[in-house]
Amino acid sequence: MIASAFGVLFDGFAYGMLLFLLSVGLSVTLGMMNFVNLAHCSFAMLGGFVTVTLTNDLGWPFLASLPLAFLSAALVSIALERVLYRRLYGASDLAQCLLTIGIVFVSVAVAAYIYGTIQQPVNLPSYLRGSVAIMGQSLGVYRLFLIGVSIVITAVLVAALEFTRFGAQVRAAVDNQRMARGLGIDVDRVFAVTFALGSGLAGLGGALAIEIVGLDHAFAFTYLIYVLIVVAVGGLGSIAGSFVAASLLGISDMAGKYYFPELGAFLIYFVMVALLMWRPLGLFGRR
Amino acid sequence: MAEALLALEDVRAGYGDAIVLDGITLAVPDGGSLAILGRNGVGKSTLLLTIMGFTRVSRGAVMWRGRDITRAGPHWRARKGLGWVAQERDIFPSLSVEENLMVASRPGRWDLGAIYGLFPRLRERRASRGNHLSGGEQQMLAIARALMTNPMLLLLDEPLEGLAPIIVEELTGAIRRMTADEGTAFVLVEQHAEVALSLSAEAIVLERGSIAHRARSQDLLKDAATLERLIGLRLAEEASGF
Ligand SMILES: Nc1ncnc2c1ncn2[C@@H]1O[C@H](COP(=O)(O)OP(=O)(O)O)[C@@H](O)[C@H]1O
Ligand SMILES: [Mg+2]
Repeated sequence: MIASAFGVLFDGFAYGMLLFLLSVGLSVTLGMMNFVNLAHCSFAMLGGFVTVTLTNDLGWPFLASLPLAFLSAALVSIALERVLYRRLYGASDLAQCLLTIGIVFVSVAVAAYIYGTIQQPVNLPSYLRGSVAIMGQSLGVYRLFLIGVSIVITAVLVAALEFTRFGAQVRAAVDNQRMARGLGIDVDRVFAVTFALGSGLAGLGGALAIEIVGLDHAFAFTYLIYVLIVVAVGGLGSIAGSFVAASLLGISDMAGKYYFPELGAFLIYFVMVALLMWRPLGLFGRR
Repeated sequence: MAEALLALEDVRAGYGDAIVLDGITLAVPDGGSLAILGRNGVGKSTLLLTIMGFTRVSRGAVMWRGRDITRAGPHWRARKGLGWVAQERDIFPSLSVEENLMVASRPGRWDLGAIYGLFPRLRERRASRGNHLSGGEQQMLAIARALMTNPMLLLLDEPLEGLAPIIVEELTGAIRRMTADEGTAFVLVEQHAEVALSLSAEAIVLERGSIAHRARSQDLLKDAATLERLIGLRLAEEASGF
């Protein structure tokens, strides 16, 4: 048991990074734009199925399919934003929930119609399989890859938000929409781009998730819960908060499954309740 | 008559179904200036919001350089040369002073260097967050931020409200310089009627959403009876209030 503690930590952190990729976009749209997009994991699922189709049916290399998973989720989200979401920006939370949960049902039905209800396999290239020994520990190569990708993405996101003009416009639009518009910032466009980026990251997360947690038609529902937990615990709109919350939850979920099998998957909920009682606005939440 | 920079033609506007302004007709020429006076709640801010496109216009037209912009969105108007300083100042709290200035900047003669020349204090505070500024600094930043968009017409909503006399002096100096020297047209809403009238060429007085009086500013400045009747202002008292 002692010997595997590091292994549990490692696997849990890798799983947490997956949760981070899946949830960071939702945290941004919910926290910054006040839009309750329960269909966020439908975009993740879309990314997963794009990768499955490209690699299994069309023979694409796994890595080459990842940008397309990102792009397709981003593009579909732009279309949905234009046609449906934009009409409900000022609407009640309930209206937004009803619309987006409806989209989840539709996406699940469409996925079942096209791909059936079985788990989808994914073919990893040989260099992402197996494990390497680092300091006497055997670490899964794919999990190392996942952690690397997530950390790079986090760094790019934070830098883009803090140091680019576009990032400043996002923050300005979140602070005060009216003033942002009054200064010539196209707030609708800023939000649409932000939304597309977040959905694209979910698509990428969906593709990267297949190897770890599998992919089937119900993914959009199954992971909605985890993603909402990460967002609530991390604090709305905080990238750093999502990162920390996803790591904590990933590690505690993994630890629960290893050390307290009888509690099984419930530990993650205890952790959530405890953290939210300690900080009701989330770890990094401001409102 | 030469084509006005900004013109409102018989405008009726408000929020939702509530009508606040009615029958507003006015024009500001290139490089011109207009003071808007009136008691609290008569619709001065609403008039500026209408020019920016934030209210519902149910009659009449807003014209910008001869073009009907009544249905254009605020960000489009801002990009076409309207600069707005809101009464609430509306500094972005999570942006630094310099980010507040840069976030909406557009090329032109007002850049960071020129702004810091006009408001040296903002240079000292350029790394501070927007929510860590004093009232006077926020007001300077709000004006400076609007200037960074290099507007042709600047809408100023009570820029001197609640400021210490020394800062009022500093700000009026800045407004005088940027308009007289640079030829930027402006519309100024101000409680300090004397200051507003001494800065501007033309003036209107609003009463319950309509224009009750128009005059050249220097004439209105001498017309104590009208000022007292319409805005309850006694000039001598106002002056000694400083
Ligand atoms: N956002 C709003 N929604 C509805 N009514 C408003 C709003 N803002 C102002 N009003 C109303 O419009 C009228 C004029 O307000 P305002 O333009 O702020 O006056 P002033 O700037 O001259 O003090 C007031 O009766 C006020 O209550
Ligand atoms: Mg006002």
